[in-house]
Amino acid sequence: MRPENYKPVRHPPSHEYELYFGPNHPGIEGNYAIRVRLKGDVVQEAITDAGYLHRGFEKIMEERLWVQNVALVPRICVPDPVPMEESYARAVETLGGIEVPERAQWIRVLMLEMSRICAHLFTFGGNAATIGLYTNMFWGVTMRDLFLDIFEEITGARIYHMYITPGGVRRDLPDGVLDRLAAVLDELERKKPEFDDLFFENAVVINRATGVGVLTQAQALAWGVTGPNLRACGLAHDVRRDDPYLVYPALKFDIPTATSGCSLARMHVRRAEVEQSVRILRQVMERLRTVGGPVRAHLPNPLAWNVPAGEAYARTESSKGELAFFAVSNGGPKPWRIQVRGPSQMHGVQVLERILEGARIEDVAQIMFSLDACPPEIDR
Amino acid sequence: MTSQRASVPAQLDHILHEMSEVRVTPKGERRVRVDLAADRLPTLLQLLKGHGGFLHLSSISCVDWPETDEFELVYHVWSYESKMLISAHTLIAKSPGRFVSVYDIHAPAGFYERDIHEMYGVHFEGSPNLNKFILTSWHGPPPMLKSFDTRAYVDETYAWRDYNPQWLKDIAAKGGGIEE
Repeated sequence: MRPENYKPVRHPPSHEYELYFGPNHPGIEGNYAIRVRLKGDVVQEAITDAGYLHRGFEKIMEERLWVQNVALVPRICVPDPVPMEESYARAVETLGGIEVPERAQWIRVLMLEMSRICAHLFTFGGNAATIGLYTNMFWGVTMRDLFLDIFEEITGARIYHMYITPGGVRRDLPDGVLDRLAAVLDELERKKPEFDDLFFENAVVINRATGVGVLTQAQALAWGVTGPNLRACGLAHDVRRDDPYLVYPALKFDIPTATSGCSLARMHVRRAEVEQSVRILRQVMERLRTVGGPVRAHLPNPLAWNVPAGEAYARTESSKGELAFFAVSNGGPKPWRIQVRGPSQMHGVQVLERILEGARIEDVAQIMFSLDACPPEIDR
Repeated sequence: MTSQRASVPAQLDHILHEMSEVRVTPKGERRVRVDLAADRLPTLLQLLKGHGGFLHLSSISCVDWPETDEFELVYHVWSYESKMLISAHTLIAKSPGRFVSVYDIHAPAGFYERDIHEMYGVHFEGSPNLNKFILTSWHGPPPMLKSFDTRAYVDETYAWRDYNPQWLKDIAAKGGGIEE
């Protein structure tokens, strides 16, 4: 029986409401936010909100010496810092006309591919966590830690290595590190069936991720999508092969693709890329046992180095797609302009907003993670 | 077309043939620099996309040149077919600092134009969204301008404080510490 003074709540005629997703939300990737307008549980509109991680790198770099920026660039992207170092170093080398010694080139590829594996392991964990599977996260991070041990041994740092410098790398590899890396790769391959069992053959993943967040090839091309997200739509474009740098032309590797362009397809492409990175690493390790020589080109005094005037656009295939550094020198001791083109600036903003339309609320986090958007790349 | 036309890679020749007053400079393998007047730029991008397969706008860069009071805008376009990157450079006057949007040719321009508008104050006519994105709470001048001095801003806005904790005094007592 209702009391006499009972007044039912009058709902507005429209059931649309807005939800602020992030930045302190476990379903958001990094310090980022999405304003989502929903009707029921279906997204009507999504607006991304960046800036939580803006540190003004591009401005700061104009006020530091060319060599000082080596310490800044890896910090732009936390999960995959090595491509940042590589792009910056190659832009400066192009400007300065510096030839990188062969051994240093092989070492750089070693670093880049290790970083790619680490970034993908992170993404697997994050992606699984968005659909309620936390074991992947623990296993992925544990596996990544073994690679971080190798990074630490080579560079002295686990995440921000500051190792790739214009002209080569900071120092040569320590004795025996290749054997220890081989053991880590063996361990990764030994664990692979377990990872597959836990993620790719898991009914929860298959049901939740198949056909979700679909991106067609035409959309991907029109919206500037690159990297695994583009390859999951069937286009086999990879900067390592199409605009090669370092010793990549001497390496044998495939470019995995998928056709459906959905969340699961994107993860399958990354899984295959990990396999290809292992294949590359084994070739690199074999070469590094025989290639000798210096690991750094002779450079002018870095504290008084006036890099020749000009501009350079250095592109690298990071784990997220096409990463590019545009460097302009006016012939002075500091960069006149450095621009960072992160792949997430495309798939983390306009693309994310568009493919979230029509998605269900429970898939928002999963779609974002399956695109592997890296907010620090957007904010810089 | 200027005298440097002879060095234009063959696959670009037929496209650039239709343009006048374009300076083309090959910059090594798979890199070409093109300099042209601002009003010709959208036509070039349209031709490159339509006839040359330059579908991918990799980025738009902005460079501030205070000595000539100009902004340099650089449009980097990539062709998946010919595997080549063309960087089209153009200069626009800093005042009024307006340029036309190329969003209707390349959708990724939406992000870059918004970013350049926020960081340099260039207004792109026809760009779909020039609202603030990263610097939502910032009300000062566009910070990437060379005229914006970060250090002076910090000096004016914040008070400096001496920092001399005990552990630093201990180090100084042993002959170490921070050199001024």
